[in-house]
Amino acid sequence: MTESAAAGIHPQSAASPAPIAPTKLKVRDLHFYYNGFHALKGINMDIPEKKVTAIIGPSGCGKSTLLRIFNRIYAIYPKLEAKGEIVLDGENILDTSYSMNRLRSKVGMVFQKPVPFPMTIFENVAYGIRHHEKLSRADMDIRVEQALRSAALWDEVKDKLKQSALGLSGGQQQRLCIARGIALKPEVLLLDEPTSALDPIATGRIEQLVEELKSQYTIVIVTHNMQQAARCSDLTAFMYLGELIEFDRTEQIFTKPGKKQTEDYITGRFG
Amino acid sequence: MATNSFLYTRRRITNVLALGMSMLATVIGLIFLAWILWETLRQGISALQPKLFTKITAYGEDGGLLNAMVGSLLVNTIGILIATPIGVLAGTWLAEYAKGTKLGESIRFLNDILLSAPSIVLGLFVYTIVVLPTTALTGGSTTFSGWAGGVALALIALPVIVRTSDEMLRLVPSTLREAALSLGIPQWKLTTQILIRAARSGIITGVLLALARISGETAPLLFTAFGNNYLTFNPSDKMSSLPQVIYQYANDPGEAMHAIAWAGAFVLTMFVLLLSLSSRLVLSRNKVSHD
Repeated sequence: MTESAAAGIHPQSAASPAPIAPTKLKVRDLHFYYNGFHALKGINMDIPEKKVTAIIGPSGCGKSTLLRIFNRIYAIYPKLEAKGEIVLDGENILDTSYSMNRLRSKVGMVFQKPVPFPMTIFENVAYGIRHHEKLSRADMDIRVEQALRSAALWDEVKDKLKQSALGLSGGQQQRLCIARGIALKPEVLLLDEPTSALDPIATGRIEQLVEELKSQYTIVIVTHNMQQAARCSDLTAFMYLGELIEFDRTEQIFTKPGKKQTEDYITGRFG
Repeated sequence: MATNSFLYTRRRITNVLALGMSMLATVIGLIFLAWILWETLRQGISALQPKLFTKITAYGEDGGLLNAMVGSLLVNTIGILIATPIGVLAGTWLAEYAKGTKLGESIRFLNDILLSAPSIVLGLFVYTIVVLPTTALTGGSTTFSGWAGGVALALIALPVIVRTSDEMLRLVPSTLREAALSLGIPQWKLTTQILIRAARSGIITGVLLALARISGETAPLLFTAFGNNYLTFNPSDKMSSLPQVIYQYANDPGEAMHAIAWAGAFVLTMFVLLLSLSSRLVLSRNKVSHD
């Protein structure tokens, strides 16, 4: 994307930063309504490919809402409505003709609380793959192992693949959920406060994992924890009351924020 | 400081009082259960002999309850086999597909009414829709049968199973649904392969509770299974059942008959107790939190 394109079509002041990589997800004039309540007010942002983009902001600012539009998971609940455009690889994913199956195989998601399926550890990873691809037993074994290795969980579970996933610790369960997500080889990985239910050690492992995964995936992470955003993201978006206030390189946001509201938030004056 | 220690003492006293009262309430409940078991055992001990399980009711006070036990077992099994698939499917539909719809709410409400419908009414209903038409078909000979009894019991078990399946599925956290759907898993796979599995122990408990409930029913069987003094394994015949025989024997003037009725009551109560216990066991064994 050229400079002018990146800067030119933003009606709002929260212009996207100078591009550091090709745009993967292009958000244009996105509005969202919860049963009539205007939760997102005209969001524009360019999320770069194979980088970590963090979204921060106080509770209720719409950061999780925004994330949940990227794979249209909001659509399972009635009375929610998104208007605008989100372009993934040249196609608007909000278009009703865009297949949900295809979207969700391209955009994976990990939630706040680890939610393993009530199955074995192996099945948790294999289950999603099996829905999208027909693999032989041997190929499936390889895919599951790859996914568990990528999620830095293989060494801990390789001897108990046939045991229930519900017996794992919280941090292990969360890494299993990441493994389950990346087993589908998505292009984008959405992380919705993935460490808020975990202890500091498990949190550290997940952050390290995010660092490793960004060479292959475009990662968008919503977090309450500003240090986390500062530690593991390339770009940071600050949201407040349904608007994108500022979106820039992470070091810029945390050292020289352009907006007073951003500065107030990251220095802890509100939130 | 003084007010603090006063507050603390008051809280301690309140705590002891509340705890004491709730324990008292529990003990009162348990006393009656123990009393019932003890009384049925005391009165029925003279009849608790092998012949209770080997002889049929046709021998009167020299007989046992074999045909009634077999009848109960078969009729209850028929009832549960009819009610379980329908109940689990209906509960699944209510919890997963009819969420927040008017139709779903109305059906849930109607199911609650069926849950509290008097069992004698259900018995009469099945008499009208099963027994009478088949009687007409066979040219006038009455067609009371184990099948009809099973249908009547199924109508009692059905709302229990619908209710528990619905509630157990609704207890499954919505994040589990989101996690599966965000992998591109379609709703039907999510429901049949993940949600039912997550709610399995609760659903099984519901089925066992329904079984416990119907195994004590007398009224719906009076006009349907009717009763039979001889042993039969054919549900197309009239069939005996434990609660019904207990009812008949209790109305008999003979002391020995009373003892058999008490023994039958003891067996039935123990059966229901064990069923409830095993359902608790299933539930606690699979108790893995999704939080």
